[in-house]
Amino acid sequence: MQNADVLIVGGGLVGCATAWHLARGGAQVVLVEAGDIGMGASGQNAGSLHFQLERRFLENGEALAEQAAQTAALNRLAIDDWRRLETELGADLHVVMDGGLMVAETAEQVAILERKVARENAQGINTRLLDGDEARTLAPCLSPGILAAGFLADEGHADARSVTRAFAQAAAASGASLHSRSPVTSASRIERHFEIGFRESTVRAERLVLACGAWTPILCAKLNLHMPLYPVALQMNATERTGPRIGHLIQHVGRRLSMKQTDAGNILIGGGWPARLASDPRGAFDPAGKPVLIPASLAGNLRAAIDTAPFVETLNLIRTWTGVTAISADQLPIVGEVPSMPGCWVAGGGSAFTLGPTFARLMAQAMVGTPTPELDIVSPARFEHLNSFMG
Amino acid sequence: MRIERRVERQAPFSIIVEGETLPAYPGETIAAVLIERSPTIGRTASGAARGMFCNMGTCSLCMVTLLPEGRRVRACLTPAEPGLEIGLG
Repeated sequence: MQNADVLIVGGGLVGCATAWHLARGGAQVVLVEAGDIGMGASGQNAGSLHFQLERRFLENGEALAEQAAQTAALNRLAIDDWRRLETELGADLHVVMDGGLMVAETAEQVAILERKVARENAQGINTRLLDGDEARTLAPCLSPGILAAGFLADEGHADARSVTRAFAQAAAASGASLHSRSPVTSASRIERHFEIGFRESTVRAERLVLACGAWTPILCAKLNLHMPLYPVALQMNATERTGPRIGHLIQHVGRRLSMKQTDAGNILIGGGWPARLASDPRGAFDPAGKPVLIPASLAGNLRAAIDTAPFVETLNLIRTWTGVTAISADQLPIVGEVPSMPGCWVAGGGSAFTLGPTFARLMAQAMVGTPTPELDIVSPARFEHLNSFMG
Repeated sequence: MRIERRVERQAPFSIIVEGETLPAYPGETIAAVLIERSPTIGRTASGAARGMFCNMGTCSLCMVTLLPEGRRVRACLTPAEPGLEIGLG
């Protein structure tokens, strides 16, 4: 049996970044990944760095919008984390933070945008409300149909396929031990330790980090814990390469849309359109199965893109892909130590590309006893009632 | 790049690539003509030479423009036809 200070399950962005921070601080870290580094949601997402309130938080009532606005402190930290990431990791991750526009096409959407901008400003996020012409001056690709836009200078995008790998390399260089193709075969809590089996090994660690996306609740179940994270299958699209046309991250306040141009020139189009989750023989959702594309999602996503930036219509779509992430019961991420099982940390539940580097840094800080009040709002403590009879 | 030994071809015809008249043989794709012209078919964003990649219609990195109408097609899947005019931009 091997001993470690921290065992991390999940070789995604959060797992690898947490491994890096902890290993840099001198901890003995073992990370296990069922597949390959960054092959899950960390590498499948479209790489948005979005710090304006997400559309999904604005269409389910005032209470949720207000609660989501409380994550502004995390967003402010994440902006700083992303700005220094390439330097810290010594890697070219195609981080572009030239600003983001969240557009509105109808008077009703403009009203939602106005409330959103006011909410953000109250939380210290400096979104500016632009009218249609101001938005088009900034981003000439926008349609004449755009009536207004929220502009946040810190938004942007990065190459999702490079970021996790860079964290993994940095973690390994700092002494973390990373094991890919190593599914967890057993997980148990023995007194104050965790024993995690994978391949032919068993590792005993004082602390366990479960950062495996849609698999996090499955790992929690192995420890007799409930974690209200649900798998979600999304689809994303890429056009052929073209000359520089979109410099910003573009989102829509009333429709599902995120759009950006990669370093190579492709336009990536996403925004939360569903694919169909696979199911296992018993009928339960199977995050390991390949999701099936939903044609109506593809059509709807491209329509939203073309209505927002008409030139997209002239481009060929070269790829549509699916990915599996997880959403929590209340839509906010779940990040932190599980109160009823001290030593067991979880991190998952969406926005974990944009906020992932920050989640990782704060968790690593919290583990060495530095206060991290920014994590309070996303703590798993809010779901402890589910574990009243568990553990 | 064409195999020349012990190969019989039908009579060539011409296509135009970036203003340059090139021979093509019946049955060849546009990609075959491009490779014969130069292994470099474009440039990456950083300016490095870029060649054909998957050669089987998957990566879509070999898209060329059919002139004058401007339609974009994958060179590796599209047959060369007499009189075709192609832009690489």
